[in-house]
Amino acid sequence: MTMRKQETSLSAEEGARLMAAVAGERNRSAFAKLFDYYAPRLKSFMMRSGMTSPVAEDLAQETMLLVWKKASYFDPLRAGVSTWIFTIARNVRIDRLRREGRPSAADSLDPSDEPEEPASAEASIMAAERDERVRAAIAMLPGEQAEILRMAYFGDKAQSEIARDLGIPLGTVKSRTRLALNRLRAILDDLV
Amino acid sequence: MIKHHPSDETLLRYASGTLEAGPRVVVAIHVGDCTACAARVADFEALGGAFLDDLPAEKLGDGAFDALMSRIDADAASRAIPAQPRRLSRAEVGIRLPEALDDCEVGPWRWIGPGVRRSRVTLADDPKANVMLLKVAAGRRLPEHTHSGFEYTQVLKGSFRDARGHYEPGDMDEADSEVDHQPVVDETGECICIAAVEGGIRLRGFFGRMFQPLFSA
Ligand SMILES: [Zn+2]
Repeated sequence: MTMRKQETSLSAEEGARLMAAVAGERNRSAFAKLFDYYAPRLKSFMMRSGMTSPVAEDLAQETMLLVWKKASYFDPLRAGVSTWIFTIARNVRIDRLRREGRPSAADSLDPSDEPEEPASAEASIMAAERDERVRAAIAMLPGEQAEILRMAYFGDKAQSEIARDLGIPLGTVKSRTRLALNRLRAILDDLV
Repeated sequence: MIKHHPSDETLLRYASGTLEAGPRVVVAIHVGDCTACAARVADFEALGGAFLDDLPAEKLGDGAFDALMSRIDADAASRAIPAQPRRLSRAEVGIRLPEALDDCEVGPWRWIGPGVRRSRVTLADDPKANVMLLKVAAGRRLPEHTHSGFEYTQVLKGSFRDARGHYEPGDMDEADSEVDHQPVVDETGECICIAAVEGGIRLRGFFGRMFQPLFSA
């Protein structure tokens, strides 16, 4: 048993390099670095979606297992590593909620599964740019609006629950979400 | 030229994985056809990636990585036999169905009212989701209806018009419970749509009849 340290940062370039090593050579130390960075965050993601700690850890493991298995589908020209892993985790969560028999967003669509055509050179610029634009946009959003968008990702939480958590009326959550999205759209369109 | 798109809120829920299965497949059909919405979804997925990066690290149990690697080794040792493809029952509905429906079962057209037929769509992963194809004859007016949740309708063939505009193939009509709509199909030909309703619907009137059999199944 090895003591693993938690990675506090991972640049997009480093992440893509590690993914290439996992896909190409099934490189375990590269995978270990990805694991150390992503698995604790994936567990956090699942816990925020209302999973208990053991279930969240199990789903984080399941997500990383898929990262290992599907590594060759990762295409840095299409999406950053964090975005790609987010979509896998999102689908793992959907699948879990469905098996629990809760109404959820389950279906067979799994972008990480699709046989992808090679992205064009134009698309490759877009993927890196998109990540930067989106990050810049979050930084420019007022804190309260960024928070309400963040909550939209970590749930299963209905807006009514978000309202309870924030101690504000449901109508306010709806209008705040709409405001935040309008603002985000304006910022993103401006950053093109 | 696609004129009617899902709202940003809907695309956000689609990208974040919090949209129910039925609406999700209808939105997937739209997004598969609409580059503007596909780009918006990619933005929202990138947002998810950024939020994932920003999350505080949660401590894992001791030996989590080693346990995963053992699982990977065990997996590789017992190469799974590929699952038999499920035989899907798919009725001929007269149009080429979008790829997003590849895993779904599609029932035969059933008469549910003058000039109106529906076919049940059963999603592989969520057979209880309320999704259906709807075929309405040229010039037919759908009776007014209300529903408690959002209703998502993607036009696959033909066109219709209501107070809010004209809908053609590729367009998505997203109507909340406030909208009392009375779509009229254009005289030029029949219209085929795929529709899903979110959450419970009030089973009354015409729309209730459309969805009723889906619940009693
Ligand atoms: Zn669109």
